[in-house]
Amino acid sequence: MRKSSAAGLERGSEPVGLILAVALHVGIIAATFFTWMHRLDIADQSPPIVPVDLVTIGNKTSIAPMVKEKPKAPPKDETVTPPIPDQAPPAPSQLKEEAAPQVQAQVPIEKPSPAPPKAKPKAEEKKDKFDINNIAALLDKRAPAASSSPDAKVGPRDIRGFGAQNAMTMDLVDALRNEIAQCWSPPVGAPHPEQLVVSFELFLNPDGTVAQPPQLTRSSGADPFMRAAQEAARRAIYTCAPYRLPADRYNQWRDIAVTFDPRQMMGND
Amino acid sequence: MKSFVFGLAALALLSMPAGATLQVDVNQGNIQPLPIAIPDFAGDPAGANIAKVVRADLERSGLFRPLDPKSFIEQIKDVNTQPTFANWRVINAQGLVTGQATVQSDGRLGVDFRLWDVFGESQMIGKRYFTEPGNWRRIAHIISDDIYERITGEKGYFDTRIVFIAETGPAKNRRKKLAVMDEDGYNPSYLTHGEYLVLTPRFNPTAQMIAYMSYISGKPRVYLFDLESGRQEMLGNFPNMTFSPRFSPDGNKVVMSLENGGNSDIYVMDLRTRSSTRLTTDPAIDTSPSFSPDGRQITFESDRGGSQQVYVMNADGSNQHRISFGSGKNGTPVWSPRGDLIAFTKQGGGFHICVMHPDGSGERVITNGWEDEGPTWAPNGRVLMFSRTLQGGRGSQIWSVDVTGRNERKVLSDASDPAWSPLIQ
Repeated sequence: MRKSSAAGLERGSEPVGLILAVALHVGIIAATFFTWMHRLDIADQSPPIVPVDLVTIGNKTSIAPMVKEKPKAPPKDETVTPPIPDQAPPAPSQLKEEAAPQVQAQVPIEKPSPAPPKAKPKAEEKKDKFDINNIAALLDKRAPAASSSPDAKVGPRDIRGFGAQNAMTMDLVDALRNEIAQCWSPPVGAPHPEQLVVSFELFLNPDGTVAQPPQLTRSSGADPFMRAAQEAARRAIYTCAPYRLPADRYNQWRDIAVTFDPRQMMGND
Repeated sequence: MKSFVFGLAALALLSMPAGATLQVDVNQGNIQPLPIAIPDFAGDPAGANIAKVVRADLERSGLFRPLDPKSFIEQIKDVNTQPTFANWRVINAQGLVTGQATVQSDGRLGVDFRLWDVFGESQMIGKRYFTEPGNWRRIAHIISDDIYERITGEKGYFDTRIVFIAETGPAKNRRKKLAVMDEDGYNPSYLTHGEYLVLTPRFNPTAQMIAYMSYISGKPRVYLFDLESGRQEMLGNFPNMTFSPRFSPDGNKVVMSLENGGNSDIYVMDLRTRSSTRLTTDPAIDTSPSFSPDGRQITFESDRGGSQQVYVMNADGSNQHRISFGSGKNGTPVWSPRGDLIAFTKQGGGFHICVMHPDGSGERVITNGWEDEGPTWAPNGRVLMFSRTLQGGRGSQIWSVDVTGRNERKVLSDASDPAWSPLIQ
C-alpha cells in the first residue's frame, strides 16, 4: 500500500519537477541579470568609506600613498579623500611635546649578580668565536638576494603574465593570491596559529597602489597574537603594492577582500 | 526528485555573483624575517653599542632582518623627532627603531627608544630606561625584548641567561665545569672549577638558584647553587644516587630521580620543609621529570613498557599514562613554559629533538643532527636550545632552533647540557 502510493507520488511529481526546474532556470537567469546590473551600479559608485579606527597599530595611523596626487581615481577621475583618522599624525614639533607622555616605562635597572672576575678574559675569547658583527654582516650579504624589493616602483603595468583571460575574475584572484602570498609572513610560531585568521578590505588605485588604509573586516579576539597577525597581514598588503593587474579591468579589482588564513601552513611549521 | 530540485535551488543561490568586492583567500605565505632598520642610537657613544646588540638579538631570533646601516639615507639625530617614513620605505624597512642615550646628572645612563611602523607611519612603542653605564648590554636586551614582543605578540627571551656545562681538555679526560652566560653568549662565568663531574643544571624560576647533579662527595647527588652568594648545598640526605633535578614553576619544589638498587623513581622535595614525597613506584626506570607550567602535571620518561617512552602524570603521582607512541625510544621530556608542547629527545636513526602536544598528538621532528639531545625551552616557549654531539663524538656544542624547526644555529662550542633561565626580573 505504502509502496504503491509512494510510486504514484513519484510519477505524479515528475511533471511538477520539470516545471519547477524550468521555472528555476528562468529564475536563475533573471536573478543573474538583476545582480549583474546591480553589481555594475555598485562598481560605479565610490565604495562607502567608513572612518572606523579598527586598526590597533596605534592611534595615529594614517597611511599616505607615496607620490600619488589622486589617491583614488575611478574611471571618472573622481578623487576620494581617504578616511580621516581620529587623530592626525603629529607634526614633528608637536611630537616633541607629546614625547614625554609616550615614554611610559621608567625602569630603574639594578646591576645583575656580579660574575666572578675570572670570567673577564674568557669573555674576550668568546667574542672571537661568537661574533655578532660577523653574523650580522653575513646576513646582510644574504639579504639583497632574498628580498624581492617589494617597494621598488615599477613602470607601466605589465599584464603579460596573466595568460588567457577566459574566466571572469579567477585569473585576478589567482594572481593576487600568488602575489600576496609572497609578501605574507604568517604567524606560524604562535600558540594557536589556526585561530589567527584575519580579513582586510583593500581599495586600490588604478596604478595598483593602495588607495587608503586597509580596513580590518574579520578577526576574533584582541590578544597580542591576534594584533601581531593583523599587523603581519597589513604589512603584506603594503609590501606587495603596487599590484600588477590589468589596468583595463580596474573595475574588477579596485575593491578586494583579502582573507589571510594560516591554517594550511600548519603542516609546514 | 525533490532533493534534485532543492539541490538546483541551492546551486542557484551559490552561483549568484558576489558583490563588487573581489574575494581573495591567501592560505600560503612566505615565512621570512621582518626587515627592520635600527640606526645607531644618538647621543652618548654607548648608543651605537646598544643598537648593535639590538640588531644582533633580533637577527638571531630569525624573525627579523636588521638592514645594513650603510643603506640608510636618513640619519636619526633626535629620538623625539618623527622620522621621514618615505626614506625608510625606500630601503624596504617595515619597522624602524630610533633611540638616544644620554648620561644623566647622577651618572646613570638613560636610554630612550621608539619603534615605528613604517607603513602605518605611527609609533608602536616608546620607552625610556635608566641603568648603570656598565649595564648597557642588559638595556639592549630589554629593548630587544620590547620590540620582539610588540611585533610577534609574545614575550621576548633576550634578557635571559643560560646555565650549561663547559667542557675543556682532551676527549679522554674532559673537565666539565658548571657555567652561565647571557643568552647571546656574552658574560660567561664558571661556577665550579671542574674538579668534579657536573651534569643537568637547571634554573629556578627567579634565575637565582641552580639545581644540578654533581659527584662532589664521590657519589652523584643533587645540589643547589645560589648565584647571589655562591653557596652550594646538597639537596636532601638520601642514601643513594639522586639525579635529574628540576624546579617546580613556583620554585618551591624540586622534582628529581632517586636510585635504589637499580630502580629509579621520581620524588618531589618541598624546599621549605625539606620533606620529600615519592611519586612513582614502578620497578622500571622513571626519570627526567618536568612540571607543566601550571604545576599540576609532570612529564617524565620511563621504560616500564619495555622501551624508554614519555609519560605524563598528575603532580601527586596519580594518573600515570604514556603519551609517546611514535617510532624509536623517546626521553628527556621538557614541558614548554607556554604549556602547548612537550619537547623531547627521540632515539632511532640518530638522536633528534622533537615536540608533541601534551596528549601525545602532533609529533614533529625539529632537528636532524647526528646526536641532538637534552632540549630546554626559552621562557616564551618559542625557541629551544639543545646539546649537539658532532659525528663520531668529536666534541659537544650548544645549538638553538625555533619551535617550527627553522633557524637552527650554533650558540657555543665545547659546551653541553644547556638550561634556559626565565626572563630576568
